[in-house]
Amino acid sequence: MSSSSSSFQMGQLVADKHVRYILMAEKKKESFESVVMDHLRMNGAYWGLTTLDLLDKLGSVSVDEVVSWLMTCQHESGGFAGNTGHDPHVLYTLSAVQILALFDKLDILDVGKVSSYVAGLQNEDGSFSGDIWGEVDTRFSYIAICCLSILKCLDKINVEKAVDYIVSCKNLDGGFGCTPGAESHAGQIFCCVGALAITGSLHHVDKDLLGWWLCERQVKSGGLNGRPEKLPDVCYSWWVLSSLIMIDRVHWIDKAKLVKFILDCQDLENGGISDRPDDAVDIFHTYFGVAGLSLLEYPGVKAIDPAYALPVDVINRILLTK
Amino acid sequence: MGQESCSQEDCFDLLNQFEHVLESDPLIDEVGFIHPSLFTILDKEAGSSSEEASTSFWNQDHKLGISTDILIQLCKVAKHAFLTALKEYKRHENASSEFLTENISSGVSCPTLESKVMKHSQALLLLSSDFGTAWNARKLILSKQNQPYGFTEELRLSRLVLSNFSKSEPTWSHRRWIIKMISQSFSTPQEIITKESELVESIGERSKMNYRAWYHRCWLVSYMTIEQVLQELNKCKRWAGLHVADSSCFHYRRRLMLRVLEPLKVKGSNDNDKTEAHKIWMEELDWNKELVIRYLGREALWLHRRFLSLTWLMYFCGNQSSETGECIVMNEEIGIFVDNEIYLLQSSMTFPDNKFEDFQAQALHASVYMLWLTKNIPELWRMLEEKLGTEKLKCVLNTVDQERPSLLLHQIDIFAAKHNNDC
Repeated sequence: MSSSSSSFQMGQLVADKHVRYILMAEKKKESFESVVMDHLRMNGAYWGLTTLDLLDKLGSVSVDEVVSWLMTCQHESGGFAGNTGHDPHVLYTLSAVQILALFDKLDILDVGKVSSYVAGLQNEDGSFSGDIWGEVDTRFSYIAICCLSILKCLDKINVEKAVDYIVSCKNLDGGFGCTPGAESHAGQIFCCVGALAITGSLHHVDKDLLGWWLCERQVKSGGLNGRPEKLPDVCYSWWVLSSLIMIDRVHWIDKAKLVKFILDCQDLENGGISDRPDDAVDIFHTYFGVAGLSLLEYPGVKAIDPAYALPVDVINRILLTK
Repeated sequence: MGQESCSQEDCFDLLNQFEHVLESDPLIDEVGFIHPSLFTILDKEAGSSSEEASTSFWNQDHKLGISTDILIQLCKVAKHAFLTALKEYKRHENASSEFLTENISSGVSCPTLESKVMKHSQALLLLSSDFGTAWNARKLILSKQNQPYGFTEELRLSRLVLSNFSKSEPTWSHRRWIIKMISQSFSTPQEIITKESELVESIGERSKMNYRAWYHRCWLVSYMTIEQVLQELNKCKRWAGLHVADSSCFHYRRRLMLRVLEPLKVKGSNDNDKTEAHKIWMEELDWNKELVIRYLGREALWLHRRFLSLTWLMYFCGNQSSETGECIVMNEEIGIFVDNEIYLLQSSMTFPDNKFEDFQAQALHASVYMLWLTKNIPELWRMLEEKLGTEKLKCVLNTVDQERPSLLLHQIDIFAAKHNNDC
């Protein structure tokens, strides 16, 4: 079982190139991919800006430009859309709040309005809908809880019921799905564990059983998959790893092999990180790759909070001030 | 003129063409993006030689191909047309609701604006299926019209979108919204459930381990009668046997089986239910064993076995509805079960040539399976020690150690602690 990591030259994180890739990505709008991603520009902005902050380069974007665009996405209801002229949804509302948190600009928000929008989406059984159209998913529970916690408004919802609902989505394998009885999925597990962590309810998790499921996600190449029998993908470096950290079982996987896998997914020439080695890069995987390296304490990358998905200094600034 | 841009007029013309194609053939059941060079090949295959062949759209036998050369322009113009129509529609709606509050009937209905929004959102969603605002606009209009025909047609559109974007979450979510609307106002969803189940299976055929598709099928389970649950178990068995790596399909079976178990967890459940459930578990365990032996090293099959064995021990081996494995009473039935599992474990660990990855994977999955069961039911450990013997147990643990050392260390710690406590 001796690791062979000493026998090959470990690649390096080409941080400068990733920064340039992110700054350029915003300007390239002529590919089909960028046209069909237009509706979730708010998520894209969060992924890009958080990556820049983790690499200590947030200063290279114009705060005013981002914030003034961001505020055009807010609706009367208080919720945010993925882009100007689109409908609001909690998915984009959390990203908007996270971006403002990065820039230390939360004070420009009408906190009462945003938190009422989010709290208004809680259902009788404790679950959350994503918007007025009623689809329920534990992802939305996480978003609501994370968002309200950043805004210090958790008292606006019934936390106990919210927790009970999440616990009802636990499976016999220790994982969680999007609703009760749905298949365990690493992304959903992150959401459920994250929500339980923020609300101080991790005692509901069978940490050994869930840790078992999560560490079985590591495949031979060192990468992590999101479900059994799937290929590894850089984005699960974030979802699986952050969950393992929150339940204190991260030593159950081979971290050195995972670092190598993420580094192998870089485009060394033009920057950006892809899902698997030699695939096309995108902003989503660039964020999750860098965030994964941050959790793995890679040198030169700022520490990220595994539950809030924001740099630790940002979260400290928010939570430690009244 | 380059591929990236075309004049506004040309772009609108393109959108008109696209919408015309959709309108003139309401039976289109499949859409795809294809390279223009394929148009002539497809024409030859279809044996057609249309006089004025379009270079943008190919439509034969209700299969629609859209040229990849025009995708960007078409998508941009569809988005623009939709957002403009939606703005106009909302402005009109707001204006007429103001009239109504002033008790003056506006007298203006907006069927034209509605149909504009519907037309452009349809075009847009066939190109960009995750465009949530377009689905929402359709929900708004459909719920106002509240016509059964409208909802059935909407099922058809979302099916068409899924033919090209089978993983699109907003499309699946929209489908669930339609089904809820239909079952609220018009009919019980029993008939829809069967059709939906078939849809997921056919999509599962083209798109392996599609979480969103299989989640949709799991979502249907809560709407099923117990008869339908049993039928579904039977129906999806063949498919599962042919797709042994599709863990999502096996999860669907677990969801169905847990539904069968539900009435048994209630006190005073009747014996017939119990016999039926008992039979289902026995059959599934036997069938799973056949598959495990036939298809070596398949993670999905071994994970399914973890579930089957754990629930078998929890609910059937003389143990009444114990929610956790903690209070399981060891008895003769469990002894026989464990004997059989040990036999399977041993046969999975003897292979002719360890150079083959499949054999190695099989040995690992079998060993981890056994260890996982003891993690859930610690009483099994002593049984395993007794029946397997120290040497063979060591061999099992070594196999785990090679691939997942942390699991083993952790498990040994627990047993050591337990052993100390017992002493």
